[in-house]
Amino acid sequence: MARISFENVNKNYANGFHAVKDLNLEIHDKEFLVLLGPSGCGKSTTLNMIAGLEEVSDGALRFDDQMVNYVPPHKRDVAMVFQSYALYPHKTVFDNIAFGLQMRKQPKSEIERRVRDAARKLEIEHLLDRRPGQLSGGQRQRVALGRAMVRDPAVFLMDEPLSNLDAALRISMRAEIKELHEAMQTTFVYVTHDQAEALTLADRIVVMRDGEVQQIGTSDDIYERPANTFVASFLGNPPINYIDGEIEVRGEAEAVFQHPSVTLTLPPEMARKLSGAQGRRVRLGIRAEDVDERGDGAEGHLIHGTVNSVLPVGSDQFLGMEFGGAELFFRVGKGMRHKNGEAIALTVDVNRLHVFDAETGASLLYD
Amino acid sequence: MANTAIHKATRRSLLDRYGYEERSAVLFLAPVMLVLMSVAVFPILYSFYLSFFRMKLTRPNNQPFIWFENYSDLLTNELFWVSVSRTVVFTLISVSAIAVIALLVALLLNQEFKGRRVLSTIILIPWAIPYVANALMWKWIYDSGYGALNGALYQLDFIDKYMVWLGDQDKTLPLIANAFVWKEVPLAAILLLVSLKAIPADLYQAARVDGATVWQRFIHITLPAMKPGFMLVMIYETMMAIRHFDLFFILTEGGPGDASHVLSWHIYVETFRNLSFGSGAAMSYLLALATFALSYFFIRTLGRRI
Ligand SMILES: Nc1ncnc2c1ncn2[C@@H]1O[C@H](COP(=O)(O)OP(=O)(O)OP(=O)(O)O)[C@@H](O)[C@H]1O
Ligand SMILES: [Mg+2]
Repeated sequence: MARISFENVNKNYANGFHAVKDLNLEIHDKEFLVLLGPSGCGKSTTLNMIAGLEEVSDGALRFDDQMVNYVPPHKRDVAMVFQSYALYPHKTVFDNIAFGLQMRKQPKSEIERRVRDAARKLEIEHLLDRRPGQLSGGQRQRVALGRAMVRDPAVFLMDEPLSNLDAALRISMRAEIKELHEAMQTTFVYVTHDQAEALTLADRIVVMRDGEVQQIGTSDDIYERPANTFVASFLGNPPINYIDGEIEVRGEAEAVFQHPSVTLTLPPEMARKLSGAQGRRVRLGIRAEDVDERGDGAEGHLIHGTVNSVLPVGSDQFLGMEFGGAELFFRVGKGMRHKNGEAIALTVDVNRLHVFDAETGASLLYD
Repeated sequence: MANTAIHKATRRSLLDRYGYEERSAVLFLAPVMLVLMSVAVFPILYSFYLSFFRMKLTRPNNQPFIWFENYSDLLTNELFWVSVSRTVVFTLISVSAIAVIALLVALLLNQEFKGRRVLSTIILIPWAIPYVANALMWKWIYDSGYGALNGALYQLDFIDKYMVWLGDQDKTLPLIANAFVWKEVPLAAILLLVSLKAIPADLYQAARVDGATVWQRFIHITLPAMKPGFMLVMIYETMMAIRHFDLFFILTEGGPGDASHVLSWHIYVETFRNLSFGSGAAMSYLLALATFALSYFFIRTLGRRI
């Protein structure tokens, strides 16, 4: 049982760098929470504060209802998997996994049983006598997982545990980590800068930037209802397209997005939310996959441009389209055959448009 | 005819085996190799040859070849065995003190604190002092009439009259070892510091999460990681201590009595004072052999499992 809450937590490093700013976050018991953000945004710092490896400079960090600001790591009942695995190079795999239990003075037979148990689950039983230097990256990763598993901790912390693996292994390990979470029934806090990893693993995602939380929500919330342009841009492949323009309110539940080269009719629910935004400068977001290449939609749902590039990516293709002096990227079906320079029309799924304030980048539809 | 064919074949294969780069490397190295051959390899072999003769410069016309007699004579030479035991004691004191002190210095310099850079520089000073200068400096410090050690201890009221230091049988070896340690610690500390710096910080973090105390982290992470550095320091310092000569020459000349009559001093006396080159060479060979055997021992024991 472990619920973790940050209350107005700040982290200042010794050199004065303000790495985490006024963090408020409630991590539920047994939740799989992912901290997502670009390099240097403070993900590891946040995780290290939970582990007790970095001191909280200001605010309160609680486990359940106990404040743990000054509780040392080994009294927090957390286990951690490091990006570099941090395996003890001079110890065998067995001793690496057993170390935490040995330090906690568990009886020998119990240690033996738990290590073998974890090794069997991770399929590394045959490696127990080796040293980390004699393992492949994937095997090391499993050992690091095993070391955390045997402790049976209340909180499982992982700092980019898959980033040193090759693409195929990364995807299979993702599934294993998800299974591990289901099997262990404990709180997981997982740091990554890989959007796909976050979207597949997380119960909830916290998107961070420069030490500040941008949005907290489920994968769906984050992807479908991004709170600002930063979150919208961070997820999606190819990234979301933006067109700057104006909102024109035409009635109670009627509004259009105006741009010199395109006019898009917004659906009624959106129009209702934008009823007070007459003449407002906005940044319209269209996700790459939210267009239909047949271009047979009604007027007000169409966007016209010229084909700039066509990049097949296996399952489908990326289409680069010249539009109003900028290039937009869309993901379209494989069946479509277009040549560079050809004029095309795409039907925009207007129900899935995103509208952000042109200056602040904050969403005008969701918060 | 057949001969030239074979000759050609070997030439071909040599050329094939060594590409252009290797061949030019050999060419560039050749001058240095020649010099080394004449100033290092030849004397070594020649002195080995000499060690089979009874060769005293005072009797230039009577230098018979005597097989291993120079070596076997040593077995019954009492002073030789005294010198061996003095060398062992000196080496044990010096190397263990160097290992411990250098470790402490390295651990200290690995901490972040104000003035660390200045301190690291100061600690390096003894290293920069030549052996002879170091020996002369300690001769002054230990002097029984006007030495700094007496002065300091007297003013601090630790002693009520000036003491004889190096002239005291029981103190002389430890005191010389002290001067040796002072000179050797900086290099040893730097070597250890390098292996300390190479330890990834997240190992300590992992161990903290695993519940290891400061002491356990030191035992389980720091020490094993320092093993290669430690081995290097032990081998190097053992070799330096076993063969050390300058301090004995300048501070005590083996005295008082035979209290600091170490092997290197014994060899010097035998060779250059008694002018007995044959037995001097024989002992030098034994010393080299002992040094070699010790290094091998260290590599086998400490080097295992690295
Ligand atoms: N010990 C430290 N002293 C000063 N600044 C630090 C320290 N550790 C980290 N920082 C700074 O704090 C910020 C956040 O660091 P953090 O390691 O949390 O980033 P991150 O989000 O984990 O990035 P990455 O994805 O690259 O691991 C960075 O700008 C970093 O330079
Ligand atoms: Mg990080």
